Amino acid sequence: MGRYLIRRLVQAIPVLLGATFLIYWLAFKLPGDPIQALAGEKKADPIVAAMLREKYHLNDSFLSQYWNYITNLFQGNFGETLTGRSVWDKITEAFPYTMNLAIIAFLIEAVVGVLAGIMAALRRGKFLDQLVLLSTLLVISIPVFVSGFILQLTLGVQLKKSWGIDFFSVSFNENDGIRAYLLPALVLASTSLAYVARLTRTSMMETMRADYVRTATAKGLPRRRVVGNHALRNALIPIVTFLGADLGALMGGAVITEKIFNIHGIGGLLAESVYRKEGTVIVGVVSLLIIVYLVANLIVDLLYAVLDPRIRYA
Amino acid sequence: MRGATSAKWVAGAVIVAMAATACSTSKDNAGEGGGNITVQLGEPQHGLVGQNTAESEGAEVLNALFTGLVKYDNKTNEPKLAVAESIETTDSKTWTIKIKDGYTFHNGEKVDAQSFVRAWNWGANQDNAAEGLPFFSKIDGSDELAPGKDKKPTAKELKGLKVVSENTFTVTLKESFSQFKTMLGYNAFYPLPKAFEADPKKFGEAPIGNGAFQMDGVWDHNKQIKVKRYDKYPAEGRAKLSGVTFKIYDNLDTAYNDLRADNIQILDKLPISAMATVSQEFGERYIYKPESGVGYVGLPLEQNPETFGKLEIRQAISMAIDRDAIGKSIFNGTRKPADDFISPIVPGYRKGALGEFGTYNPAKAKEIFEKAGGIPGNKMELGYNADGGHKEWIEAVANQLKQNLGIEVTAKPYAKFGDMLDDLGASKYKGAFRMAWSMDYPAAENYLRPIFSKVAIENGSNYGHYKNDEFEAVMKQADEAKDPAEGLKLYQKADDIIIRDLPYIPVFTYMSSSAYSKSVKNVEVDAQGRMDLANVELS
Repeated sequence: MGRYLIRRLVQAIPVLLGATFLIYWLAFKLPGDPIQALAGEKKADPIVAAMLREKYHLNDSFLSQYWNYITNLFQGNFGETLTGRSVWDKITEAFPYTMNLAIIAFLIEAVVGVLAGIMAALRRGKFLDQLVLLSTLLVISIPVFVSGFILQLTLGVQLKKSWGIDFFSVSFNENDGIRAYLLPALVLASTSLAYVARLTRTSMMETMRADYVRTATAKGLPRRRVVGNHALRNALIPIVTFLGADLGALMGGAVITEKIFNIHGIGGLLAESVYRKEGTVIVGVVSLLIIVYLVANLIVDLLYAVLDPRIRYA
Repeated sequence: MRGATSAKWVAGAVIVAMAATACSTSKDNAGEGGGNITVQLGEPQHGLVGQNTAESEGAEVLNALFTGLVKYDNKTNEPKLAVAESIETTDSKTWTIKIKDGYTFHNGEKVDAQSFVRAWNWGANQDNAAEGLPFFSKIDGSDELAPGKDKKPTAKELKGLKVVSENTFTVTLKESFSQFKTMLGYNAFYPLPKAFEADPKKFGEAPIGNGAFQMDGVWDHNKQIKVKRYDKYPAEGRAKLSGVTFKIYDNLDTAYNDLRADNIQILDKLPISAMATVSQEFGERYIYKPESGVGYVGLPLEQNPETFGKLEIRQAISMAIDRDAIGKSIFNGTRKPADDFISPIVPGYRKGALGEFGTYNPAKAKEIFEKAGGIPGNKMELGYNADGGHKEWIEAVANQLKQNLGIEVTAKPYAKFGDMLDDLGASKYKGAFRMAWSMDYPAAENYLRPIFSKVAIENGSNYGHYKNDEFEAVMKQADEAKDPAEGLKLYQKADDIIIRDLPYIPVFTYMSSSAYSKSVKNVEVDAQGRMDLANVELS
């Protein structure tokens, strides 16, 4: 297992290097002039533009720019944006918000999704099952920006205006601690939550029909043990796989949610950098997301053995 | 089972955490007692240095932190003396500027002649690559500080700036410019204290200004910028609020919802989605007034003389555009039909100056269009950048031209504004194009020279490469006028030449809309869309 872990980590290095190269190349190929983008709707002053191009080596070839970037990176220097801010500062400012948001969304999704799925599976065809099926269908079919705005308007604005209840904030407010994340996390988690619930329901139903579950029940084990230890444990494997991949998606895919609730996280930073053609920021952010994906995948793979001891690593 | 128990713990922890935060309902006490309010802002682009700020968000904060030599009247936009005691000239070339006593920087340092000279020399030096650099090009000696690409500055100081005494300095321009006083309210001309030179970058994070408000802490990027009242500011003009928090949003819809829930107190630009209901919801607390922007259909005169070279064709296009319909149905009243090249908010604007050729008249348009022989191939393109909400109005104009002139008009999207400019510059694109201008300083001159003069082909926004010696001559006369009012008449004469030639077709002027909550009063927004925060009071 230790060797397996080390091998996986070593494998991550070429993945990261290749990815940064590709992303840098893609950013380089983005159309538009970053200096003009800086000047907005007015024409960039020729002298200022020339000075900035020289300062940021924008006239150099792609390879020379990339080499410049990567050698700086190995010295721990993430570079500077075209407006003179440290890229590392920008990333470390944005990252914690997205991380917190994704983790809370992930917890909501995992806990509520799995519980709803289990309950639906155990009461197949009954009211509760129908309720879960219907509500998840509803959630899946409403786009995030619609549900986000509706929740913001009803829980954020109307609740305060009509009832004086100031619990859910309209926009993110750091002083509110975890409470500030609740509404956005719920919105962010909603779609995945629906998938997790449906996946758990199907997976559970299948394992509940398995022979070993029937044996366990016939042995006279209490239902809690049958469901918890025998059925759920096996049913969890596809769910864990989904959740693992989803953590990365939550972090990268929070653009819309972050925008609605004014959370200045990774999503907005990435979108803004693509718009401004700030290659150094794009590469920095995306590399970080790749690391999150890699780690999440590794944890998923390691969890398999915990869930099913028959799975061995070589 | 291990997994199940830990899941229980996690779930339990989340519930406890939620419950805990629910109890400590931390109320955002902005806007209650003490005179603190929160207003909306977008993240400024550069460090907060006047010489390096050419966008509205940074300018908004700088406006609270700094006071320039002049400031503009909120109603008429005429320049009024602020830090300056007097600004005098006899030939519009050499200007003597006296500074009032009593202004200090927030660190106690006196605002003197040197603090302006210091700031302008820094801004004019190309090594600093400051966005405001072009504003100093009128001052004698600017070429030595900004000689251009691949060259090194040969001087450190503008030779046109001379400190005469502690409170007086003179500015010598390369050529006479009667509107120089009006320029001086722009943020590139703000003063800077000695402390700036030690570390300009650090200064930009927490500038030491001379305005009615001073920084309260440093710029908290992407979150907020807090300022508090500067108590040593001259009594007249001292801020009434004790503090303002600029809360940073990147989405106006969210900011508008925060305003409706009274989480913020002023929103100086409203999202389009709010336009339909804002006047019912906010009543008198909704401000709706013209602002500085003008939207045009630009014409590639040099790139495509076959199509757009004939004056009658340009007049026909102008008359075939239903400006009223565009402002009302596409922009929900956030744009008004343009009837002059000069914005209605600027001294020198004349109502209806465009005359007949700025008035919708499809029958006459068609008549002169056909009389002039139409355009080659009977088709034209209309380019726009797709990233700025221009699609709808450009398509509407395309349809109107199609219907009223009987030609084939295609709307051509460019991903970015810069791409379209590149193609125009290289003569690769020969169609008409969308264009807009908003002023740097409220002078009629600023709506003419940067867009239609020869120098603006390279350094400004003359994308159709319009050239007219008569126009240049009148502009020069206006610059040399001894008295601003006389100058203004001549600028209007230059405006008449542009109206006659129609190198661009003005379509609409922008309207600014803002709203504020019940808890504040005396809210005013100036022509550049900046809040006059020093006057705001709690109600």
